[in-house]
Amino acid sequence: MKARIVLENGNTFEGRFIGPKRSELYAELMFDTRVVGYQELLTDPAHAGKFIAFTYPLIGNYGINDKFNESDKVRARAVIIKENSRISSNWQAQASFLDFLKKQGLVAISGIDTRTLTVHLRNQGAVWAAISGGGRDPKEIISGLKQHKRKTRCDYIREISVKKISSPNLATKPRKVSAKIGILDLGAPKSLLRAIISLGAQPTLLPYNTRAADILKFKFNGLIISSGPEEDTALDQVVESTANLIGKVAILGISTGHQVICRAMGAKVTRMATGHNGVNYPVIGPQTKKGEITVQNHNFVVDRASLNKIRAVKLTGLNLNDATVEAVESPKLKIIGLQYYPSSPGFDTPHPQLKRFLTLCG
Amino acid sequence: MPKRKDIKKVLMIGSGPIVIGQACEFDYSGSQACKALREEGYFTVLVNSNPATIMTDPGMADVTYIEPLTVEAVTEIIKKERPDAVLPTLGGQTGLNLAYFLMKQGILKKYGVESIGASVDAISRAEDRELFKKAMLEIGVGVPKSGIARSLKEGMKIGLSIGFPLILRPAYCLGGRGGATAYNKEELEKFLSKGLEISPVHQVLVEQSVLGWKEIEFEVMRDCEDNVIMITSMENVDPMGVHTGDSIVVAPAQTLTAQEYTNFVNFSKRIIRKVGVNGGGANIQFAQNPQNGQIVIIEVNPRLSRSSALASKATGFPIARVATKLAVGLTLPEVMNQVTGKTKTFFEPTVDYCVFKICRFTFEKFPTSKRIINTSMKAVGEAMSIGRNFNESLQKGIRSTETARFGLGCDGKDKIKETVLKSPPAYLLEEIRNKIRIANDERPFYIRYAIKCGISLDEIYELSKIDRWFLDNMKLLVELEERIKSVKKIEDLPKGLLLEAKGQGFSDRQLAHILNTTEDNVRRTRKKHKVRPVYKLVDTCAGEFKAERPYYYSTYESKNESRVSANKKVVILGGGPNRIGQGIEFDYCCCHASYALKQEGMESIMINCNPETVSTDYDTSDKLYFEPLTVEDVLNIIDLEKPIGAIVQFGGQTPLNISLSLERAGVKILGTSTDSIDRAEDRERFRKLLLKLGLRQADNATATSFEQAKGIASKIGYPVLVRPSYVLGGRAMELVYDAESLESYMKEAVQASNERPVLIDKFLEDAIEIDVDAISDGKDCVIGGILEHIEEAGVHSGDAAMVLPPHTLTKEIIDNIKRSTYALAKELKVKGLINIQFAVRDNVVYVLEVNPRASRTIPFVSKVINVPLANLATKIMLGAKLKDLGFTKEIEPPCVAVKESVFPFVRFPGSDAILGPEMKSTGEVMGVDKTFGLAYAKSQIAAGQKLPLKGNVFISVRNQDKRDIIFIAKKLADLGFKLLATSGTAAVLRQNGLNVGLIPKLYEGRPHVVDRIKNGYINLVINTPAGKSTKEDETVIRSQTLLYNVPLVTTIAGAQATVNGIEVLKKQKMAVKSLQEYHREIKAGLKPRGKKGRHGKNKY
Repeated sequence: MKARIVLENGNTFEGRFIGPKRSELYAELMFDTRVVGYQELLTDPAHAGKFIAFTYPLIGNYGINDKFNESDKVRARAVIIKENSRISSNWQAQASFLDFLKKQGLVAISGIDTRTLTVHLRNQGAVWAAISGGGRDPKEIISGLKQHKRKTRCDYIREISVKKISSPNLATKPRKVSAKIGILDLGAPKSLLRAIISLGAQPTLLPYNTRAADILKFKFNGLIISSGPEEDTALDQVVESTANLIGKVAILGISTGHQVICRAMGAKVTRMATGHNGVNYPVIGPQTKKGEITVQNHNFVVDRASLNKIRAVKLTGLNLNDATVEAVESPKLKIIGLQYYPSSPGFDTPHPQLKRFLTLCG
Repeated sequence: MPKRKDIKKVLMIGSGPIVIGQACEFDYSGSQACKALREEGYFTVLVNSNPATIMTDPGMADVTYIEPLTVEAVTEIIKKERPDAVLPTLGGQTGLNLAYFLMKQGILKKYGVESIGASVDAISRAEDRELFKKAMLEIGVGVPKSGIARSLKEGMKIGLSIGFPLILRPAYCLGGRGGATAYNKEELEKFLSKGLEISPVHQVLVEQSVLGWKEIEFEVMRDCEDNVIMITSMENVDPMGVHTGDSIVVAPAQTLTAQEYTNFVNFSKRIIRKVGVNGGGANIQFAQNPQNGQIVIIEVNPRLSRSSALASKATGFPIARVATKLAVGLTLPEVMNQVTGKTKTFFEPTVDYCVFKICRFTFEKFPTSKRIINTSMKAVGEAMSIGRNFNESLQKGIRSTETARFGLGCDGKDKIKETVLKSPPAYLLEEIRNKIRIANDERPFYIRYAIKCGISLDEIYELSKIDRWFLDNMKLLVELEERIKSVKKIEDLPKGLLLEAKGQGFSDRQLAHILNTTEDNVRRTRKKHKVRPVYKLVDTCAGEFKAERPYYYSTYESKNESRVSANKKVVILGGGPNRIGQGIEFDYCCCHASYALKQEGMESIMINCNPETVSTDYDTSDKLYFEPLTVEDVLNIIDLEKPIGAIVQFGGQTPLNISLSLERAGVKILGTSTDSIDRAEDRERFRKLLLKLGLRQADNATATSFEQAKGIASKIGYPVLVRPSYVLGGRAMELVYDAESLESYMKEAVQASNERPVLIDKFLEDAIEIDVDAISDGKDCVIGGILEHIEEAGVHSGDAAMVLPPHTLTKEIIDNIKRSTYALAKELKVKGLINIQFAVRDNVVYVLEVNPRASRTIPFVSKVINVPLANLATKIMLGAKLKDLGFTKEIEPPCVAVKESVFPFVRFPGSDAILGPEMKSTGEVMGVDKTFGLAYAKSQIAAGQKLPLKGNVFISVRNQDKRDIIFIAKKLADLGFKLLATSGTAAVLRQNGLNVGLIPKLYEGRPHVVDRIKNGYINLVINTPAGKSTKEDETVIRSQTLLYNVPLVTTIAGAQATVNGIEVLKKQKMAVKSLQEYHREIKAGLKPRGKKGRHGKNKY
């Protein structure tokens, strides 16, 4: 069935629905430049409510395996691709990409020139779009879109976050528990939990609205504020409780969690012209030439000028290309903030920043 | 870290002649390196024996040596230049090996030269199999079970303990040379002894076979601060068992999960750290078990490689340039990515397209060799294509190889007919299965046949172990083909289906074949429906940033991103994949055309599909289209760009083949008119042309049957040179001595008919052949060089050794040749380059061939006389006169330069190592010195012939050469060599008072000559082919001689020159001298052009 993507400015792209059909849908459009990892990206709760376009044109080649899910439910609103593979070819494939779409009820449009779409987004910045089945007058669609955009209150974290304090439901358990880590769940991906466990720590998931006093009661060795949706009504509350935790427990903020920490300390967070969504972003220390290539999923960023005013934390990582804030640290307050993901799917030696955080936790 | 200040002068080692396994990718990397070094202010000294390269252009390095790549020669250069460092990682295996041996022999230490890019330790860890295996196990990277054999006994023991099948890899051998798969004890023994012999360190790795596993490659870079980035992953479509240089490769890898990808990345990082590359790149090859994901490492190349050239072109990331900067201490975060102009090189490239690499083979040149591919590389070139999906890329890739195929079948060239495939006989199914089971260059087509015959994908997978993902894509093509066919008429083809077909890479030619119409008609229909390609960018970042210096590929989608300027522009058609007969020389010319266009203020647009070349580098032309060189693909670009014209003279035969079609479609061909080209190529018109100018031609005629041919041959007299009129470049050309061979040639070899006439030329036996390269503006003509062949007539000019200036011709003959050249250039109104082949016999000058285009020897001549002929020719095509360009007088070469060819015989078991009218060489070297003897000796050494200064010479010549060999043998005896010969030759030499040892022929008892060769008893073989009777015997002798790396001479003229060279080498030590030093000795060189500024400096 024919599908149309109509952008705010009237640009239209035509393709076809390959998964469940639903129209109209409205959401902010983002693109991601990774070549592999479609399943991980789509199941990352951080993308709740978004339309995700892949710049890589061939999606579904290696199929789907449940173990690659970063969460159990896809929160993105739709996925936009150039081509879907007819077959899944990998020894680990349990199901095809199409099966996955059906199972997750995820709307997907194929046959889109995602490069042109990307170039649009690059030039225009964040854009909202409507997905429509065709037939309707584009003008009508756009006015519907604008209306929707005005009305929309992003309120995903409330849904995504665990409902009660709990241990993560994972097959892996630490062999010997060396530290207890609370994870304030804004949309924590499973790979993060696994990485923590692999370092011998015991994670406990906390609902986003757990009060500071309650968190402190647990006497965690450290607290991680996870990644998750960046623009969300729940975040103000999280910032508030975080402000009450700073200095009282070691805290690692990841992506959105990092923005939360910085806001809690008084820094501002601003929307970027084009976000960082991919697996190839260089981060480097302000005084060194040694850096690393990181995985990133963010469209907001901590404002550097406002951060500079905060004496207690120092800037420890910058994006090499656009000099945006990538990492902050305060050894005294035992705080680390990382705009990038220190965990990625697959077996890996744990990220040095996670190890470092556990050292801070004592 | 800032760049190193303790280093001022850097010696770069090139890779020498183009051979299988080492092609022009190292010209691309070397040129980038030279530019990068000089950009950083280092004084750059370059040594390379290959004159056909851009990197040896006098402007590329500060000092350029065209000298043999041997420890001796390079030591002399080090002594003279005293560089602080040597950069060996950009000159292929040759460069790396040379650095390794310089280190082993203490030369580097003695002269205080540091190896940068890859330390000597890093080289050892990657190259020494045992050290490598140990290092990998230390970091937890799996390796196939293996052992190092230093002897046959040891090897057998290791092999039997691992179990069959086994892979054998001789150490320090290029491109998998000598590599083999042994399935049983007998084969193991056979391949072991061969491998031990050819390995320069006499080591063979005996390894567990991972046949059928996935082959995955990663290109990795690391700087001195330990920053590591992945450039790209690559997946071989042909699984393990086929050398990666012969495999079809896609980038990025298509069938890896994110987790697997991460695993590979983690391994790659550990490996590059462990090997110790701390300022450069590495190519890492893995094998992965498709059943359970188990990964083992196959090898690491701590240097720029063929794969890194591919990775570079596939992503837009200039690996060679960056590797060079890292080698001098810069870091990835400091170096700018020039393609985006915004990002630093510390940013992993990502792509939004699918890249396909497909190889070009030349089995037709070696018909006695089996048409299969395996672990020993055989491809002579490769093409790269880019599309938005696998099939688009695949079909473009097949078109790009220029094997007269226009996609994956259904192009009118299929070997098996549609109707037969509908109900295939059992034997055919068996043949199809075999062609899929045993890898070969036609396998993709056979997979298509199999799909059409209804063989299941699972079965095809079991036969080939080619991943189902690739197979299913091919199946999709077959299904689409059926859907198109069901439309029946092009008029009824719906636009949607047309777009779909184009989006899956179908060419107009294929659609024409499927719908039974003409390519023109498909094109018209396409335009009517407004189905035109758009051009997308290779920008290293999948569109995330606006790129400053991207390049382009076509696809069928919504938006065109090619920024078409309003400038005046010219399109240059490149040469496509390397092959025998068309190689780097033509790429050199195309690059110069581009430089010249820029100097003239014209926008230069390059179209080419060869990822190994300088012409496909991002900064060679103003714009680069990475596209196949077919009429359809080229016209699409021209429609969009609307250039003032196209240059077809420089890319070899490829652009010429399509020039008429382009002209008919309204494209202006710059320079010499296509009519003039036709006058030179059409036999009848050519005859009239010579007649008009009063020039002589060897007697010739055209025949369509054996009877007619027999009549002609007896009239003009044997021997005659016969060739089909419909092929070029010496293909199927033969020298025929009698009516019997003529009959078999006419009836069997070429199946002559009215449609396929055969050209018969009187063969000028014992004539001297001459090549002339000249430049003309339509009025004036200046000769660049007159090159005298060393071998007598009958050896293809691409294979013959040549000397510039001529050394045996009289002034009268030279004047005659000059006059003839001027007359031909004038009559053909040549605007640009012209190459003429003459033959001289009994003081009569014959014209053999006229080619009004760039020849293979243009770079060679340009380097000797210090005039960039291709550059000037381009300016002439744009309207300049020779007078304006300051080139009005022939330049007397300041030295003697010898061009020698190198041959791939060892790669093709069963082929005979003799020279003939069909070209077989892959590359060339130049030997340059003050005298012919030294220049020739250097050329031989550079070509890999280790000229002995003492020892045993084996001589066996045919009857007609027996008189000529006496003098040569005497001289060898005088020089202190011991002579050995078989009975016939020995008798003649003894009669002439020479002391000769007798050696049995192969069937005369042992130890026979081949035993002697194998035992290292013979240091030089002189063997001229006798014809059919003893041929098999001789073939064995010659191929064994080459296999055991003993110098082999197969012509009398070659023998004379060789003995001459040995004599000189015995008297004096080889000295080195740079091109720049020679050029300073040129008395009246190219005058700078009058107009100020624009052309004052011929910077090229």
